[in-house]
Amino acid sequence: MSLFWIVIRELAEIQAMATSKKVITRVDWEKKLNDVKVRKEDMNKLVMNFLVTEGYVEAAEKFRLESGTEPDIDLATITDRMAVKKAVQSGNVEDAIEKVNDLNPEILDTNPQLFFHLQQQRMIELIRNGKVEAALEFAQEELAPRGEENQGFLEELERTVALLAFEDVTNCPVGELLDISQRLKTASEVNAAILTSQSHEKDPKLPSLLKMLIWVQNQLDEKASYPRIIDLSTAALEDPAV
Amino acid sequence: MSEATSQSEIPAKDLIGDYFLDLWCHTSKTLALKPEPGPESELDDDDEELPSALDTLNSSGGFSVVGPDKLSLLYPNVNLHGHDVGVVQANRHAPLKRLLYYFEIYVKNAGAKGQIAIGFTTSAFKVRRQPGWEANSCGYHGDDGLLYRGHGKGETFGPTYTTGDTVGGGINYATQEFFFTKNGVLVGSVYKDVKGSVFPTVAVHSQNEEVTVNFGQDPFVFDLKAYEAEQRAKQQVKIDNISIPQDASYGIVRSYLQHYGYEETLKLLDIAGKSTVPPISLVSENGVIEEDNMYALNQRRALRQLIKSGKIDETFSTLRKCYPQIIEDDTSAICFLLHCQKFIELVRDGKLEEAVLYGRSEFDKFKKSSAYDDLVKDCAALLAYDQPSKSSVGYLLGESQRDLVADAVNAIILSTNPNVKDASLCMHSSLERLIRQVTACFLEKRSLNGDQGEAFRLSRILKSGKKG
Repeated sequence: MSLFWIVIRELAEIQAMATSKKVITRVDWEKKLNDVKVRKEDMNKLVMNFLVTEGYVEAAEKFRLESGTEPDIDLATITDRMAVKKAVQSGNVEDAIEKVNDLNPEILDTNPQLFFHLQQQRMIELIRNGKVEAALEFAQEELAPRGEENQGFLEELERTVALLAFEDVTNCPVGELLDISQRLKTASEVNAAILTSQSHEKDPKLPSLLKMLIWVQNQLDEKASYPRIIDLSTAALEDPAV
Repeated sequence: MSEATSQSEIPAKDLIGDYFLDLWCHTSKTLALKPEPGPESELDDDDEELPSALDTLNSSGGFSVVGPDKLSLLYPNVNLHGHDVGVVQANRHAPLKRLLYYFEIYVKNAGAKGQIAIGFTTSAFKVRRQPGWEANSCGYHGDDGLLYRGHGKGETFGPTYTTGDTVGGGINYATQEFFFTKNGVLVGSVYKDVKGSVFPTVAVHSQNEEVTVNFGQDPFVFDLKAYEAEQRAKQQVKIDNISIPQDASYGIVRSYLQHYGYEETLKLLDIAGKSTVPPISLVSENGVIEEDNMYALNQRRALRQLIKSGKIDETFSTLRKCYPQIIEDDTSAICFLLHCQKFIELVRDGKLEEAVLYGRSEFDKFKKSSAYDDLVKDCAALLAYDQPSKSSVGYLLGESQRDLVADAVNAIILSTNPNVKDASLCMHSSLERLIRQVTACFLEKRSLNGDQGEAFRLSRILKSGKKG
């Protein structure tokens, strides 16, 4: 090892001592990493859980064959769930509501907020398509009675009706309702509700694992200086800053 | 730097081969210890001996009497002084390597004055004083409901307790708090300012006071499981609030499929990824890694399928044709893995005689190390059982053993990519590297925290959220 590196390392150690942080070198850290045994089956399960929860049904089916990992849910139910999600995403809300009720009528019965959001989305789609009269009728008949039950619904309803008041809806204060992101929001809400009704978690486990990594690294940073993973996509170890 | 040069002197394929042999040894040893792994059983270094009884040796003799069951405590005499406390610690300190520790007492008789206390003390504690009165101790007292921490003056804490009450004391290592309960209801918690390991401690201090202790041998009155779930959820909220790039998980899954050669799944995921709204950006920021991951994908998939369907002869011939350098040394670790698998497949097919002949002709050359010996013994042991799949070496007939061999072959092919400079990148997918990092960080964090708290368990994450 060159003198240069020795000096650099000593400097790092002195600095760390000043802040009373423990310094763990890359070599030592790699030894610790090597002591961790990760079971392949467990990684496969994480991947399967991601495919299933995110609704990649064909990929999940193939992964079952290629890796021998059993999915934690009946794959047929994913197809139905994805059909509902897709219907909302493409603006066919009526169709989506029908499909959810075919799947399990209790989902909407027990989830008034979701049902309201779907109805609201339906009205947004009517306005988008320039069907002003139909939209107004729908608001009075379907949405208003629900707004009376719930203050939050009422505010949402008023925001939606406001869309009719503007000539240039894309530039009005409530224009975001017409944005594609509003559809995605509703779609993801209905997706989560279906998963919950199937006793399945609504979020995949992999993102929480990644969050946990960032959390524990931040915690450990207070007490030690060690090689970290900063870029999640490469999972490359980066040497501690000197 | 010196470490780098010394590593590169060992050929990548030997490094990789040895790594997978080591993994196999690890499986073999873990299963030898626990021959029938239930769903709960996992390699667990965190098994600590728990407090199970009251310590009869280190108790304040004369003032209190520990019952023959070592779980009850009686104060038979009239107390004369403040120092005549009958204090007893548990026989062991509270375990450290977990989220929570908890125990309960039942007040059978509050005696003359009801001066009963429950708390925690260190091994240096003077067992003539109430827990909480001395430095490095903490106690919840029955006669005044006060909490004592390190001196004789208590602080307002909770209700008093008396005959017929069940009182509990616990430690939350994540929040570094002591907590106390009365009749199944949480009374409160305080910062745990006591360093080092602590002993569950009980005290009686007036005539006829009698308590029994429950170290978990009986069900607790307090719903510890619900409390634990609540505490976990609190911590989870903090973790959930951390933001990560939206398609990070998608990228890691893709890279996983590429790494292990799950080519068909990858294709379907890519097709689905393109049609999602909005489309997930498929352009990886790190093109080099993407390219390395795709190296020989098709052949890696084909070889994995061969091994997974038990076709070891075909595996050898494909390797001979496409990657002769991998198996040119017939005494290498990868050849050992493949020969063993061939032997295992013969046993699976019931061709025992053929297996014996194959073993005799192939295993002899692997006498390099004791690791090889042990693994050969595992394989040979298959022959000894009428129903080998139910024996202690039954794991060899499982899918995970085939997977191990397939993973080894996969990694070695990845290492033949001339662009690859670091063999460790061939051994582990990015997902595995992330999991190793999380686990190591949790362990290091705990060791810097006086060994307190629980380790990271992937299996807990996998189990979480499942009903029933």
